[in-house]
Amino acid sequence: MSRPSSRDVAARERADRDALIRIVEVWRPHAARLTMGLVLSLLAVLAGLALMSSAGLRFAGAALGMVLVTATSLRVLGLGRIVLRYSERLYAHDAMFRALATLRVWFFRSLSQGAAAGLGFRRAGDLLSRLVSDIETLDGLYLRLLLPLAGACLTFPVLVLVICNANSLLGILIGILFASSAFIMPLAAARLSRKEGAGLSHAQAALRVGVLDLVSGMREIRAFGAGPRIIDQVNSANSRLLARQAQLSRRMAFVGALSSVCTQTALLLLLAAIAGIGFDRIPAVQGVGLMFLTFACFEAVSGLTRAGMLAGNMGAAAHRVVAIADEHPRPVQAVSPATVMPTHFDIAFEHVAFHWRADRPDVFRDFSLTIPAGSRVALLGPSGAGKSTLAALLLKAAFPQEGQVLIGGVDIASLPDVWLRQHIAWLSQATHLFDDTIRNNLLLGRPDADEEALWRALDEAAVGDFVRTLPDTLDTWLGEGGVKVSGGQGRRIALARTLLSEAPILVLDEPATGLDAQTEQDFFLTLNRVAQGRTVILIAHRLTGVEQLDHVWRISGGEAVPV
Amino acid sequence: MSESKAAIKAWTKTQARLGLRAVRPSIVLGIVSSLAGAAQFWCVANILGPALTDFVTPSGHGAGAPVPVWPLPAFVVIALLRIAINFLSENASATAGRRARSRLRNEVLGSIVGTGPAVLRHAHSGALAALAVDRIEALDGYFTRWAPASVLWVASPFVLAVLTAFVQPRAALILALCGLFVPFAQALFGIGAAVASRKQFLAMTRLQARFLDRMRGIATIVLAGRADDEAQRLGQAADDLRKRTMKILRVAFLSSASIDCAMIVALILIALIDGRHVQAAIHTTDAATFRSMVTASLFALLIVPEFFAPLRGLALAYQDRALVQGAAEDILALPAEVASTGETHQLRVAADEGVAIAFENVSFIWDEARGRALDDVSFSVAAGETVILSGPSGAGKSTVMELLLGFIKPTAGRITFNGVDMQTIAPTSLMRLISWIGQRPILFAGSLRENILFARPDATEEELEQAIRAASVDGFLLSLPDGIETMIGEGGFGLSGGQAQRIAIARAYLKNAPVLLLDEPTAYLDPVTEGDVFESLETLTRNRTVILASHSTALQEFQGQRIELSNGRIAGAGGEAA
Repeated sequence: MSRPSSRDVAARERADRDALIRIVEVWRPHAARLTMGLVLSLLAVLAGLALMSSAGLRFAGAALGMVLVTATSLRVLGLGRIVLRYSERLYAHDAMFRALATLRVWFFRSLSQGAAAGLGFRRAGDLLSRLVSDIETLDGLYLRLLLPLAGACLTFPVLVLVICNANSLLGILIGILFASSAFIMPLAAARLSRKEGAGLSHAQAALRVGVLDLVSGMREIRAFGAGPRIIDQVNSANSRLLARQAQLSRRMAFVGALSSVCTQTALLLLLAAIAGIGFDRIPAVQGVGLMFLTFACFEAVSGLTRAGMLAGNMGAAAHRVVAIADEHPRPVQAVSPATVMPTHFDIAFEHVAFHWRADRPDVFRDFSLTIPAGSRVALLGPSGAGKSTLAALLLKAAFPQEGQVLIGGVDIASLPDVWLRQHIAWLSQATHLFDDTIRNNLLLGRPDADEEALWRALDEAAVGDFVRTLPDTLDTWLGEGGVKVSGGQGRRIALARTLLSEAPILVLDEPATGLDAQTEQDFFLTLNRVAQGRTVILIAHRLTGVEQLDHVWRISGGEAVPV
Repeated sequence: MSESKAAIKAWTKTQARLGLRAVRPSIVLGIVSSLAGAAQFWCVANILGPALTDFVTPSGHGAGAPVPVWPLPAFVVIALLRIAINFLSENASATAGRRARSRLRNEVLGSIVGTGPAVLRHAHSGALAALAVDRIEALDGYFTRWAPASVLWVASPFVLAVLTAFVQPRAALILALCGLFVPFAQALFGIGAAVASRKQFLAMTRLQARFLDRMRGIATIVLAGRADDEAQRLGQAADDLRKRTMKILRVAFLSSASIDCAMIVALILIALIDGRHVQAAIHTTDAATFRSMVTASLFALLIVPEFFAPLRGLALAYQDRALVQGAAEDILALPAEVASTGETHQLRVAADEGVAIAFENVSFIWDEARGRALDDVSFSVAAGETVILSGPSGAGKSTVMELLLGFIKPTAGRITFNGVDMQTIAPTSLMRLISWIGQRPILFAGSLRENILFARPDATEEELEQAIRAASVDGFLLSLPDGIETMIGEGGFGLSGGQAQRIAIARAYLKNAPVLLLDEPTAYLDPVTEGDVFESLETLTRNRTVILASHSTALQEFQGQRIELSNGRIAGAGGEAA
């Protein structure tokens, strides 16, 4: 593996920082809670410092026959410390988990903005990894870095001032050790871990993709006897992850050891001062108090160096989470949002030019087509002619490089996505059945539909009789991707979902796929009766002859030719 | 139920035994580290004690007595030793954790693959992935923290209490009493923590499965205008996860607070009682005795945090223990492998001989409530011949395929290959005989080449070329950005249905098995593409025994025997088709 150059590292650090800032913005609604958690944690730190130094003073005082600290104040401090520590941890964790839940929802929303065309090259397993593991890693940002760091900022001056009061040289030396342990070493660890960057989260995502491939491709794997091979592949992803973890845990143990060296050196210096070796001898009573205080201070920041080691992972995780928000198609030219929504639903493609990717050939160069509202039309043509691309353009899953698509005379680029999707119902070739009941799968099309409407839609899609024979009828669980019903039945349930929608425009992309010839004819006969008054755009490779259509176009060579 | 509880108990016990064996070095190092800690505090007390008593001048005690120097170098040596020991022990337990996770992951994956596609009827692939990845990752704490802590929480405090008893018996008694309080608190909180942690993992798994499912159908959600609703539901699931996690933490923090309590009570008691004794002794004892008394008390005071550290470690690791039980339930809930009954043997087939297949009164039930998916089905197909299964969707065509692939076993009747009962043929031998093409082939994350070679990784470049030509993959290879090295996303982004199906055909060519199972191979293709694919399929079927399930009119043109299925029964066997 080549070492990343320093410029790459700098660029990545900048990107990570930007990502962290974005995430902090998402967390803003929880600012009050997070601040409250911080305040509580600082109070707990103060109580801890007071307790440790007074316990030392109490005993040391006793040896001198003096009562420096009363038993009552010791008890109050002890109790206060426990209560504060408990409530601080609980409150801070709760605040953090609320922020993480918000981040998860934000992630899904951002993803859905760019996902009208499906997941594309992004892998579901990788996205899952981002939603689960990467977001979880980010809790360390607040709990493992920010809170202890704030505590260290509070203890640092207290510690230095108190020790300087006894011996200024000692105060400065211990101050330096504390600063190394709390600030310098964590920072160095963070820089070191950043060089490794996203290795760990990539390794974890790779393992997850491998496992998902294994699970969902089980049929192929078994049919080709590839079980051992695929397990080997997953195992090597597993070994890569473990190797990363091994490296990380070795480094963590190492920096942990370094921070104990700081603690022990500080204690050693104090002991030397108490013994009067190398320093002016400090009073023993004071020395004992200082010992306890120093030990407590260093103990409180001992986790910071390890947390610093995780900073690289946190930055990379933040980066992977935020990256999703930036990946969605946008119109080539910015369009100001429409203020008036269309009142009629004529569809017009005007001089549209489009290609999916710059390195792929143009699908359309100068494509124009008008579909009057309420008409029933068919777009025919072989696969690859661009029929489905027209549907994608109409739904803003993709944007034309030139020309525009109008609904009711308004450029759809200026229309809100929500409006557009309320007014166009789409049955695509890749329509997904969710791991849920038939009822909930249907309700996706229209959440307020009543029982009667559901059955009507199922009957129109010629699947009502089948659903009636199921023991749980509408409440039958469909299973993942509809595994519990046959392919044709699942397809018809998806069709029922589209028919259920009240959108004035229906786009049916190969609705008869997976239907046998008789069912197909029945379906088109039904389609003639239902959806009256709505625009129906039928995308197909051929007609069965029973459809009643107002217009038929054949799409070929990037043009629409009336048939 | 009790049987499964016993199984979970047995499994957990095995893991505990294996875990303990692996962390033995960490345990030994942990005890040594406690001893080193005690030695260090002895050094500290030996500086502080004389230094303190040195200043007790009013009664004339100790004046002028020098503070000993030896504890300083001793302190340095022991400190370095201790840091090294902790470093080693941390690495040792991390290694044990990695090994254990590797082992468990291997077991789980093996059992998923062993069960076959039937596993997906029981669990969502998201849930399975969560089991194999996160659930096992989460067990790390069990092997790295809980396993050593489960021994050290008794061993270390015991050793320290014994040591303290030699130096300062009164303090040792206080330590022991406060220490004994901890297990009671742990037992009290631990039960609650175990239940809460199991529920938390359930919430986590649900969140993952839900998200994965929604992710795969995200275009459907977005285009139905339901993204907001789904985001809200995801929000609820995420919030549920937070509440469950907080429940665990509340208990966990409470149990660590109870240890704090015990520790502070011990500190205060030792400080007060020893303080009083020391005060009383100032005027009654001689300097040396007084000095050693103070030193002993200081040692007792300093050892308190060290004494409670392993107990705190136990409290921190307690939820790790609860996780292993939850994992046991999930791992044991994986359906048992479809074990072949009785002895199996290899079925050898000569290259030119072919395989004849027969169904003899086969019935199959997926689900009692829905009746028989196949009801007393009998047919046979001679070597090299083709059988076409037709019928409406849901008639049982796919069930026949699943049976032939060995993913499920007939509820009644038997299936024979060259007269041999399929159940007695070794699975590896069976898989060598069969190629399968389904409705929508799964393309794995990776390059096109890897996806074709999937059928036979050791194929030569020439064989690969041949398969590519025969399946007409070369027709669209040029239009792909990187040709055969083009990377393909999950679900095969970038390839049309027809192109994906050609990859599947190329796989079948490469495998070159005598039996070919075609399960509606053109269901998702338009007729033009279907026609093209049909030609490739026809060449593929030559000299092979073919079972084709389809209701496509184009595929009905295949030469062969026709069997019409309806509601799981043979409705008509229409001799030779045209």
